[in-house]
Amino acid sequence: MADSGEYEGDDGGSVRELCVNGACMKAAEVEAKLDEGNIQEAESSLREGLSLNFEEARALLGRLEYQRGNVEGALRVFDGIDLHAAIQRLQPSFSEKSASKKCRSRSDSHVSVSQHAASLVLEAIYLKAKSLQKLGRLTEAANECKSVLDAVERIFQQGIPDAQVDNRLQETVSRAVELLPELWKQVGCDHDALAAYRRAVLSQWNLDNECCARIQKRFAVFLLHSGVEAGPPSLGSQVEGSYAPKNNLEEAILLLLILMKKYHLGKIKWDPAVMEHLTYALSLCSQTSILAKQLEEIMPGVFLRSDRWNALALCYSAIGQNDAALNLLRKSLHKHERPHDLMALLLAAKICSEDCHLAAEGIQYARTALSNAQGKDEHLKGVGLRMLGLCLGRHAKVSSSDYERSRLQSEALKSLDGASTFENNNADLFFDLGVHYAEQRNLSTALRYAKQYIDATGGSVLKGWKLLALVLSAQQRFSEAEVVTDAALDETTKWEQGPILRLKAKLKIAQALPMDAIETYRYLLALVQAQRKSFGPLRCLSQIEDDKVNEFQVWHGLANLYSGLSHWKDVAICMGKARELKAYSAEMLHTEGVMHEGCGQTHEALRAYINALLIEPSYVPCKVLVGSLFSKLGPKALPVARSLLSDALRIEPTNRKAWYYLGLVHKDDGRIADAADCFQAASMLEESDPIESFSSIA
Amino acid sequence: MSDTKAETAYKSLSSILTNTPPSSQNPASSLLYDPEISSQVSALLRHPNSGAGDDNLCRWLYDTFQSSDPQLQLVVVRFLPIIAGVYLSRVTLRKPLAGFEAVLLALYSHETTSRKGQSLTVNVPDLSHPSIYHESKASSKNNATDLNLAVISPSLEPHGTVRSTRRARIVGVALELYYSKIPQMPVGSKIEFCEFCQAWAGQDGDMRKDGNGGDEAINQKVGISKEGRIPLPWELLQPVLRILGHCLLGSNKKNRELYEAACCASRSLYARSLHDINPNAILATGSLVRLAKMGLDSQNDQVDHTEVPWTRVISL
Repeated sequence: MADSGEYEGDDGGSVRELCVNGACMKAAEVEAKLDEGNIQEAESSLREGLSLNFEEARALLGRLEYQRGNVEGALRVFDGIDLHAAIQRLQPSFSEKSASKKCRSRSDSHVSVSQHAASLVLEAIYLKAKSLQKLGRLTEAANECKSVLDAVERIFQQGIPDAQVDNRLQETVSRAVELLPELWKQVGCDHDALAAYRRAVLSQWNLDNECCARIQKRFAVFLLHSGVEAGPPSLGSQVEGSYAPKNNLEEAILLLLILMKKYHLGKIKWDPAVMEHLTYALSLCSQTSILAKQLEEIMPGVFLRSDRWNALALCYSAIGQNDAALNLLRKSLHKHERPHDLMALLLAAKICSEDCHLAAEGIQYARTALSNAQGKDEHLKGVGLRMLGLCLGRHAKVSSSDYERSRLQSEALKSLDGASTFENNNADLFFDLGVHYAEQRNLSTALRYAKQYIDATGGSVLKGWKLLALVLSAQQRFSEAEVVTDAALDETTKWEQGPILRLKAKLKIAQALPMDAIETYRYLLALVQAQRKSFGPLRCLSQIEDDKVNEFQVWHGLANLYSGLSHWKDVAICMGKARELKAYSAEMLHTEGVMHEGCGQTHEALRAYINALLIEPSYVPCKVLVGSLFSKLGPKALPVARSLLSDALRIEPTNRKAWYYLGLVHKDDGRIADAADCFQAASMLEESDPIESFSSIA
Repeated sequence: MSDTKAETAYKSLSSILTNTPPSSQNPASSLLYDPEISSQVSALLRHPNSGAGDDNLCRWLYDTFQSSDPQLQLVVVRFLPIIAGVYLSRVTLRKPLAGFEAVLLALYSHETTSRKGQSLTVNVPDLSHPSIYHESKASSKNNATDLNLAVISPSLEPHGTVRSTRRARIVGVALELYYSKIPQMPVGSKIEFCEFCQAWAGQDGDMRKDGNGGDEAINQKVGISKEGRIPLPWELLQPVLRILGHCLLGSNKKNRELYEAACCASRSLYARSLHDINPNAILATGSLVRLAKMGLDSQNDQVDHTEVPWTRVISL
């Protein structure tokens, strides 16, 4: 009957009717009386015309006033009803209460009667709250709204029976549940809002899925962003064995995950904001693997698939799974997908720039990025150039010929220099330039960039100090390099000092101060002890790798130091200690070989070197030493030695020892001019040899 | 007791400021909310030579924080965006900044003490176990093992000085303290924070596309971007993004100016994350930018589900 009115034309509110029990009255008649300010008359005409009691008539009048936008009038009408007394009457008496506990369903007639009456009263209070809200009297509105919920809880102590609930009553309840937290938020009472949200999501209100989802989402947003720490939910709401969040982030993530699940089960519509909030929350916790799982579960059709692949790639790359990330990016950058997406291109180029076997692929991505950085994305041109430079530089390391290598290297530098015109304040770029120039032994330029990097980062990044010290050491300015390491030590806390202290020890060795170096190593070992004490012996593997002071490297450094002094016994002790930490390592086998060689045990030495190469086929120091051993085995072995040394130089063209031994091979073979060239290269490189390879920093 | 502390603080600040503010009935609240006092303090903090070891204002901030009166401590926290902002942007200029550092270290050590040096962690729930908000069939075997523990702020060790490699962490922890007090912070302080985010990012986002803000605004922005760009390691960026999330999506949407500042800051930091190709930061800032956009788009066509539907026929 009520519906029939809705289909009669659409000319505004003029022909509205009030209908109860089959009888109808024109709204205009009643409105006229109301406009005269005569509520009583309006009321009595309703009571007569529609045979209603006082409360019913008032409720109808209130609704009429509210609906025609006269919220002040609505308030006046509602103020005439003692709503709270009405609620009192509706509450079940004590005997009913105990009965209802035993037997959940009361007689049908009773339920329907009380539901109808309750619906009338509760709707009236709810409309009062809405009227107050519209008048800006928010605190009163919130209190009225709260009284709706309190009343519902008192009238229906077992929760609202969902099978036989009156539609209109349920609508009022759902609206009140949804409105209350919003009102408290508008008032600015965050703690009341929080309590209202908790009440909304924890009590049984029989809300429909969409309404419940709206509240859960708003609650999650409130938890994430209000800044009010909610604290864990009360113990009363916690069930044995079920998960209860302890803080805002946990609770927000839980709610958002539940919303995602509801969507997967088809209970609610897709809401892109839920996914965005979840992305924000999980990436703040660096839990992007969970985010990836969520993205993977979303049905096709919600996201553009290239968007999803890109988002997944970001997730995997953030947790270091670059292989997976790159595979996804390859899909999304396929020519039939979105081959010009700048973010994907740059991320792909970055991943490729870290692996010399992927660098060639990275060059393509970077070039495409560069040509697409236009218009509003022009600011990314510098990033594209930087990635291009890094990929070219990395690719140069595996190039097959000297010519190719030097071409790539100079292109790399050109790109990086080009990037610096766009990104003249990007500290990372200074570092990249510093390393590239240093690797090409352009030490004065490298020094300038190393200093610039330290300035731009305010000395806050350890690798900057390391680069500066290494460049100075390559310039054979050891005492200045030591000043740098001392400054770096001042700027770091003790757990981070390991790498700097090892550098310092090597500087001492380079200055022929072995006793000072031993002293430094002793201090490092003390740090290792302290670290073990303060973090406990039970640490998982990843933590050992994360250790700031790497014990293995300390023992290895010490072994090398003693080996330089020909203290073979001490070398053996240090090696034993190192081997306990890492059984198979090319570096350690290298030291072992040197020890055997020092003791004149050529065969044992050769075995150690070859074992090292089996572990790490491109480990240059051992290649060089195997080459040198072969070169001493007589003219038949010279070609083998030569090819080994050439191979070493292909991998590391600046290895001065390789040049030196290659010179000896040429000399023994009678190629004096070639020998001279090699010796010259060796001697030039010696003047610019850092105490540790530059590539060890990046 | 605390009233006299507040009065003392108020008086000693009056002697530092150029325009002496009139005496106040409620000095603690005036210090926190009076716009005249805030703007004077802000101007002093932004002065090119501020923040040195003998800076009176820094000393006042330090002493006020050490008064251990929570209300007065809020006053100091209120100025953290400017202190951190000016400090981090100026570190590279090798100026004496001991005054700023003293205040930052005081905030850091306060947080260290109140947290007992412990890390902050989050147990990311796994829905296959039931929770207070949902039921699940695969019930309680050993549900503790399947949780994903995420450290959102590692454990804290005491620092007596600002070592440069710990600088970002110290400021980051101070910002965590700011975040925990953010409901009490005045809007002005949050707007200052958003402005510094833009400066730190050193990237003006895609502002030009929008066409709002004339040439002057852009020039100003570029001016900031050249000066203020700083390294943004995660230990600094993460608390920054939490605060920014509040400014953008917290319950203070009523304030247009703050909302717009937060939008600009989000866009700048998103652009910066792209420049750094930092996946985590791209995800977090990207979602903020998109949420801001969704908020703008849906502003007009939002259905109010709490409204009673209009009907032609009213019945009971």
